[in-house]
Amino acid sequence: MVQHGFYNFLNWFDERAWYPLGRIVGGTVYPGLMLTSGAIHHVLHSLNIPVHIRDICVFLAPVFSGLTAISTYFLTKELWSPGAGLFAASFIAIVPGYISRSVAGSYDNEGIAIFALQMTYFLWVKAVKTGSVFWASMTALSYFYMVSAWGGYVFIINLIPLHVFALLLMGRYSARVYTAYSTFFILGLLFSMQIPFVGFQPVRTSEHMASAGVFVLLNAIGAIKYIQALISKSDLKALFLTVAAGAAGAVFLGVVGLTYLGVIAPWSGRFYSLWDTGYAKIHIPIIASVSEHQPTTWFSFFFDLHILVGTFPVGLWYCIKSINDERVFVVLYALSAVYFAGVMVRLMLTLTPVVCILAGIAFSRLFELYLKDEDPKTPIDEADSEGDDAAEAIAGRKLYDKAGKMRRMRHEQPSEPTSLGANIRMVSIVATVMMLMMFAVHCTWVTSNAYSSPSIVLASYGNDGSRQILDDFREAYYWLSQNTADDARVMSWWDYGYQIAGMANRTTLVDNNTWNNSHIALVGKAMSSNESAAYEVMKALDVDYVLVIFGGVIGYSGDDINKFLWMVRIAEGEHPKDIRESDFFTERGEFRVDEEGTPTLLNCLMYKLSYYRFGELKLDYRSPAGLDRTRQAVIGNKNFELTYLEEAYTTEHWLVRIYKCVKSNLNVVWRPVYFIIALFCRVKKENEFNRPRIPVANRVIKGNRLFVSKKVRILSYTNEQEFLNAFYL
Amino acid sequence: MRTIWAVAFATCLAIFLVCFTTPAQAQQKRREGLTLSEKVQQLTEMSAKRSILRFNGHKFKDFVRSTPRNYSMIVMFTALASQRQCVICRHAHDEFVIVANSFRYSQHHSNKMFFAMVDFDEGPDVFTSLNMNTAPVFMHFPAKGKPKHSDTMDIQRVGFAAESIAKWITERTDISIRVFRPPNYSGTVAVAMLFAFVAGFLYLKRNNLDFLYNKTLWAFAAIVFTLAMTSGQMWNHIRGPPFVHKTQSGGVAYIHGSSQGQLVLETYIIIILNAAILLGMILVTEAASQKGDVRKRRILAIVGMAIFTVFFSLVLSIFRNKAHGYPYSFLFK
Repeated sequence: MVQHGFYNFLNWFDERAWYPLGRIVGGTVYPGLMLTSGAIHHVLHSLNIPVHIRDICVFLAPVFSGLTAISTYFLTKELWSPGAGLFAASFIAIVPGYISRSVAGSYDNEGIAIFALQMTYFLWVKAVKTGSVFWASMTALSYFYMVSAWGGYVFIINLIPLHVFALLLMGRYSARVYTAYSTFFILGLLFSMQIPFVGFQPVRTSEHMASAGVFVLLNAIGAIKYIQALISKSDLKALFLTVAAGAAGAVFLGVVGLTYLGVIAPWSGRFYSLWDTGYAKIHIPIIASVSEHQPTTWFSFFFDLHILVGTFPVGLWYCIKSINDERVFVVLYALSAVYFAGVMVRLMLTLTPVVCILAGIAFSRLFELYLKDEDPKTPIDEADSEGDDAAEAIAGRKLYDKAGKMRRMRHEQPSEPTSLGANIRMVSIVATVMMLMMFAVHCTWVTSNAYSSPSIVLASYGNDGSRQILDDFREAYYWLSQNTADDARVMSWWDYGYQIAGMANRTTLVDNNTWNNSHIALVGKAMSSNESAAYEVMKALDVDYVLVIFGGVIGYSGDDINKFLWMVRIAEGEHPKDIRESDFFTERGEFRVDEEGTPTLLNCLMYKLSYYRFGELKLDYRSPAGLDRTRQAVIGNKNFELTYLEEAYTTEHWLVRIYKCVKSNLNVVWRPVYFIIALFCRVKKENEFNRPRIPVANRVIKGNRLFVSKKVRILSYTNEQEFLNAFYL
Repeated sequence: MRTIWAVAFATCLAIFLVCFTTPAQAQQKRREGLTLSEKVQQLTEMSAKRSILRFNGHKFKDFVRSTPRNYSMIVMFTALASQRQCVICRHAHDEFVIVANSFRYSQHHSNKMFFAMVDFDEGPDVFTSLNMNTAPVFMHFPAKGKPKHSDTMDIQRVGFAAESIAKWITERTDISIRVFRPPNYSGTVAVAMLFAFVAGFLYLKRNNLDFLYNKTLWAFAAIVFTLAMTSGQMWNHIRGPPFVHKTQSGGVAYIHGSSQGQLVLETYIIIILNAAILLGMILVTEAASQKGDVRKRRILAIVGMAIFTVFFSLVLSIFRNKAHGYPYSFLFK
């Protein structure tokens, strides 16, 4: 984008992804991330600071997480106090739930989106407090930025109307709210429609209808309040109720009617699955397959938030106890976010900021009470009290009481001592600080172990603690970029689409932007049918190479065989005649790769590609040949040959295997002959590029029990990928 | 679930024994000579009346076993009589009725497939002849040839929900049935009842609506909701884990061993622990902010702090047990 300018970016048609469909990049992504980095690059260059765009992309996330901490401080300051703001900012700076998206190099929409989210909320709270058009317009601008960055903007456009609605219900209507919301709604609506990917969605989809409804309601109530100022109070109440109920009913019926007529699109599957939790499992396997869309266990809550899980309800408690306009907002924010986070692991990200805010409030209140000088001192006995403090520090408990007594004698203090005593205060503070230190240590541990590993370089630890680097992914992508034709089409499962496109610079069939379900299903069908049927699909899709990830040699659990059932399910959703999930299960309903596995499984393309020539491999002297370490089973189908594909490359640890699709013009009769010739030739070709560089026998397989550390299991999962799956499995 | 299966198994065993003691007295004479078109016509007439045909022994022979057929039969073998006490049969029957009705009113309706059921008490000879000793069983009798192994639905694995029955039928016969469940009004009714109840309550208390402004009540509700969510109740709702586990050594495990799973009881424990942490912290804060008897407040503060630390360490130690290799702990290992 830096090279070609903004408008070319919007019109960029990427024919190298989603072959043969191609993809209009400008229309199918949220451009905020690219725009931001491009803008920073531009500014820095105009200041004559030569920075490469790549460096900007790498450091964008940390910079924005810093900004998030600042905006969290301001938001909490508006809600409670500056002290709470500081607590909240320091919490969000280290909390693992947010760090996962803000380590250097994670060039992700979410990284900047959370900043935009917090900023919008801060400005909104400010707007509600002051009732000024200026702040409301700033809110709308910030919302515009959010829309350009992340699909999660829908959360804002529903939460703010919900806040307004709750305020109306609580009878907290005021001119400030009216001004803030009207300005925000109108400007926000117009702004959000400027993003090409969003387009007319704000007026056409159900997700946005709540905001419009609340706008109408607010205006109705505003009108009534105005009339109230003009006419007498007597008949007003009836009028008020009728008009309010009438407006609400009319809006509701209008939306339902328009949805029915098809003018407004009903809720999209992803949002629908948030409410009806069983929906996705039945209807849209592609959504259910992404493990970030799985529900959250308490373990992940604790893993990501640690002590804040237990303490943030305290902040919630105090917010409700001393409620005002803007605290209504944070309460609603907390309740909705905690619900969403419970339904989807991924939405933990939206919960994290509010947890930090509320926990900040709780802790700051505690520390405020326990750290302050409990007994107000007049300037007169300041010296005296200083002496007291010093004495207290030396002699501990008894002096404190004495000080209290002395003071009571001197001034008109409350008759009984109001203080808790220094000891209790000290103990409490020390215990709390220790727990906060546990939190800090936990965050460091989680960050270093789980969230900061280079994404595609795996590390493993042998029994003696030595570390080996498994660089198979880069090896394979480098091979692809050097040894294949520039326009070669590579078929792989969609998880690796971006990596292949980015690192090997080859055309992919499907990638992580999962916008076309049927295309993915087609790839899934090819993978899960037998070789000849798969060849038909691959011929139709014009595939040159097939890439599979196979972890059986090193015991890597995030490989394609483990994801295979999802491929089958997705394929079955589109091609129920050809692919049946039940064919892949044994009689007893197990998914096995050994001899007891079903013939369908043992002969499908994915199985063959993963285990091709694996049966000849003995990993160590004790285990039998063809032992799959990931699944701890000897494979069931050992000696087979591939008819339509030939092995092109296998990386050092067999992690990535690439096959070339034989596109011969020979007809069916001649193909077996060709195949036999190829078999003979293979002996010669042994040392050529299509065999692994290191002969199988010389490969050092590390350790008998290879311990793959947690760090290993996270594979550069960008936004839609299943990094939690990899991590927790 | 396990108990249900046990009951079903016991029942079926009893049925089986009964079968042996009264050896197929039902060698009834068989009416011969229904032609194919007659059979199809009769079946169509019958199925116009009711979506599931009830067969006894010789009807089963006539329409299902005898050879000239051009239609598939989906037959449920069951024992619905109340003295059999087969609870699961009744559930299976309900689901089967849903599938049959969906087929009957769908546009794919044809006379290529019929739904039937055989009750054990009406046709025990069918059970003996098919060498069947459990119920319920779903079988598909294809138009040509004998039923194969896979023509018996594996309800142990796929269950007998209407959707899975329909899927199985599609696999066997290529007739796809879109399951249409009669809308379940019980949920709607329950919500309506709840609304009516709340509205009535508000109406009765209309002179004294102060409790709506009671912040403690609202705060309490909000916290209950939050605790339920943070302890993974949603996960329980979606995944349906068991309440407790049996360990290999025969004991009972309350805590799931790995970090990706959880047991229902475990989440309750977590709720209690989290609530205790919360309570401890509120106590500590309240102790410092209230005005009142100092001694009481001191005790309150100490108790609160103790609860806070102890329960937090408990949660941490459970977490540590689940996350293998997690190095930190506080107070407890």
